[in-house]
Amino acid sequence: MTRRRAALLLPAAAAWALAAWLLWRSSLPAYHLPHLDEHALFPAHALHRAQRFSEVEDLFWFGKAIAQLVVLGLFARYGVRWMRESAAGPIGTGMLLGMIGFAFVWAAQLPFAVLDVWWRNRYGLSGSYVQATIGNWFQLGAQFVLLCVALAIVMGLARVRRIGEWWWLLAAPVFVGLRTLLAFVSPWLLGGKSFHAPYVASLQHSENVHVPVRVLSGFSEPNAFATGLGASRRVFLWKPIVEPPFTPRMDRFVLAHELGHLAHNHIWKSIGWYALIAFPLAYLLAVATRRRGGMGVPAAIPLAIFVYVVVQLAALPLQNLVTRHLEAEADWSALRATHDPAAGRQLFRLFASETLDDPSPPWWDYVFLENHPTLLQRIGMTRYYVAYVRPHVHG
Amino acid sequence: MHEPHPVQLVVEDEYRRSRLTVFFRLLLAIPHLIWFFLWTVWVALTSFVNWLISSFTGRPPRWFHRLMCGYVRYQAHLGAYLSLVADPYPGFMGEAGSYPVDVQLPQEPVTQRRWTILIRLVLFIPALLLASTLGGFTGGNVGSSRGKTRTGSGGGTLLLACALLGWFASLARGRMPKGLRDAGAYAIGYTAQASAYLLLVTDRYPNADPTEMLVAVTDRPPRHPVRVAGDPYDLRRSRITVVFRLLLSLPHILWLTLWGIVVLLVTLVQWFVTLFSGTPVRALHRFVSAYIRYRLHVAAYLFLVANPFPGFTGAPGVYPLDLELEGPQRQNRWKTGFRLVLAIPAFIVDTALSASLLTAALLTWFYALVKGSAPWGLRNLSAYALRYDAQTNAYLYLVTDAYPHASPLEGEDTREA
Repeated sequence: MTRRRAALLLPAAAAWALAAWLLWRSSLPAYHLPHLDEHALFPAHALHRAQRFSEVEDLFWFGKAIAQLVVLGLFARYGVRWMRESAAGPIGTGMLLGMIGFAFVWAAQLPFAVLDVWWRNRYGLSGSYVQATIGNWFQLGAQFVLLCVALAIVMGLARVRRIGEWWWLLAAPVFVGLRTLLAFVSPWLLGGKSFHAPYVASLQHSENVHVPVRVLSGFSEPNAFATGLGASRRVFLWKPIVEPPFTPRMDRFVLAHELGHLAHNHIWKSIGWYALIAFPLAYLLAVATRRRGGMGVPAAIPLAIFVYVVVQLAALPLQNLVTRHLEAEADWSALRATHDPAAGRQLFRLFASETLDDPSPPWWDYVFLENHPTLLQRIGMTRYYVAYVRPHVHG
Repeated sequence: MHEPHPVQLVVEDEYRRSRLTVFFRLLLAIPHLIWFFLWTVWVALTSFVNWLISSFTGRPPRWFHRLMCGYVRYQAHLGAYLSLVADPYPGFMGEAGSYPVDVQLPQEPVTQRRWTILIRLVLFIPALLLASTLGGFTGGNVGSSRGKTRTGSGGGTLLLACALLGWFASLARGRMPKGLRDAGAYAIGYTAQASAYLLLVTDRYPNADPTEMLVAVTDRPPRHPVRVAGDPYDLRRSRITVVFRLLLSLPHILWLTLWGIVVLLVTLVQWFVTLFSGTPVRALHRFVSAYIRYRLHVAAYLFLVANPFPGFTGAPGVYPLDLELEGPQRQNRWKTGFRLVLAIPAFIVDTALSASLLTAALLTWFYALVKGSAPWGLRNLSAYALRYDAQTNAYLYLVTDAYPHASPLEGEDTREA
């Protein structure tokens, strides 16, 4: 490494670390979760079911990831031959290569998607073969459009002579801007029906977040999410979570959790983390594609896609670490707003039987796949709240 | 190059139409329709026997062959009469050489591969699909007159569109427009080839190539300012891009839609300018021309008429199926003022051709997946449909005031050097 490059990289790394530290800060106390025995908390049958289901689901994920890497690896090596199928100039050709790469991945992953539906149906969970194949096809189309927009930006910048190989410095902020715009606009596009419950106003008051709460139908699994920035902030509840077996007390906890996300600016923080990943990712792409002429050259696109996917996979543990941290803060916020750890505990126990989440998954599943704390950790937090915090709050 | 198809269309029509018979054409054809119905029932019964015998011998008996030839010919005569592709009242026996729009068929039965005879009905399905969008199977005549029971294109058949528009034109001018006459003749020719294939007159599959079908038509339409240029032998197709063709086209479709919105606004401005000054603004003309060319590129890619992924700018000379557009010319103010209304007949033909284009694309998709190439005939039919669509758009968006020409034949350059 040259001295000049080191002189540039060191301050950049320091700035990155400082930004990461600032984003990591939260209202979570320095807590140690009590050791819990999953067998004591969950019925043996439900536990076995959830674990068995998750094991095979993990295998499917693993198979999909391997298929993706193999296909894109081969595509990075041989994909250039499809350049002759284009009359679209460098950027259009790059788009075509990108789309063909993703099409191959789709085809390679299709058997796993079908098997996944079969497996979910075996356990009484939703999943349709039509959705997994034809529905997935349309999803692939949407992916193509987004990919083309992304490549148009990246290749367009890389082809500007004055920018050249510094394109990544401009492209990363552009993508962060687009992500911010999407976060701002998307809540208005989702629709949903207004949710009314006696506890909504008091929760909004205690979290100090006054935003619309809406119910989205068309889903078969219990879930909720908070999204939006500024005036577009919303909480969305998927219909199954406001229906039995979920009780109003559980719904109150769920709503408090989602409001907690907004109260602690998690959407902004997510954008911040996205920015922190976008810059090094773009830089790595620039470095990796240099041998093939840089990102402005279509021949570099198959390799760029491969590198992108590998880096994304490698960054998964970090991404999951961050989202688990944010989710834990939202859980903590919900406990403080509702003072109802029992509702949270019941909710998390119910998740094991309703969504078949493994309460304590194996380590690699935890590292690569879990973007929420495990159910056992979440129950542990409610215990911690009962043991150490509530007595102080209530004197 | 291809060997000529054994079923050849002969067109010796002079375009002149008797207004009286045109006006009453459908009523005058009633005796023919009854006769045709009876003949169809008879042919349906005998063709089964013919199929049975031919499956064993590999060659239809002479008596059956003659019957089927007569039927195919009569179908073409009646179709031509009803759709105004020809003027004289046809005979009832389908005699060879007795009508200005005729089909030449093999005089003697030919030996055919037995397996193709055995599964002829299955093999016929693609031709049936295409024939129903062009002529409406059974020659378009019955299809045209029984609109409610006709199955097929959904957009209406090409022959029906030609007949409908030709009826008004012939009443007004006493002549059938050449474009409509040629397009109708092409549809009749294809249907005759399809019928001949089904009825075991030949084992040669129908050829959808319009130019080859109308090879006997010697007079060319005038040169149009909007022309399609491309190598008709550019038939190689990449299987992987064929599989995902629709999805790969999505970014283009999105871009085309956005561009189209701007073009609509630009055309509005252009309309006012052309109406007052008589000549379109050059910059706007160039902008809209690029859009029309780009639209052709995208459609050619989507409908498998060409292989490479097109660019996003509609630049000339970069795509294998390209559009030649002339610069802005002075335009007739009347034609400009009433452009939308005047474009309605072109829309009708364009819609009919779009149904054929869609069917051709569907068939090409399967064919290209297996063979890695596009069928010659379907490729050229699609190129014809795209050319007409481009001419219609150019007319509508004020790029030219030359009316779209429905003839499948390329225009002849009659200008003096």
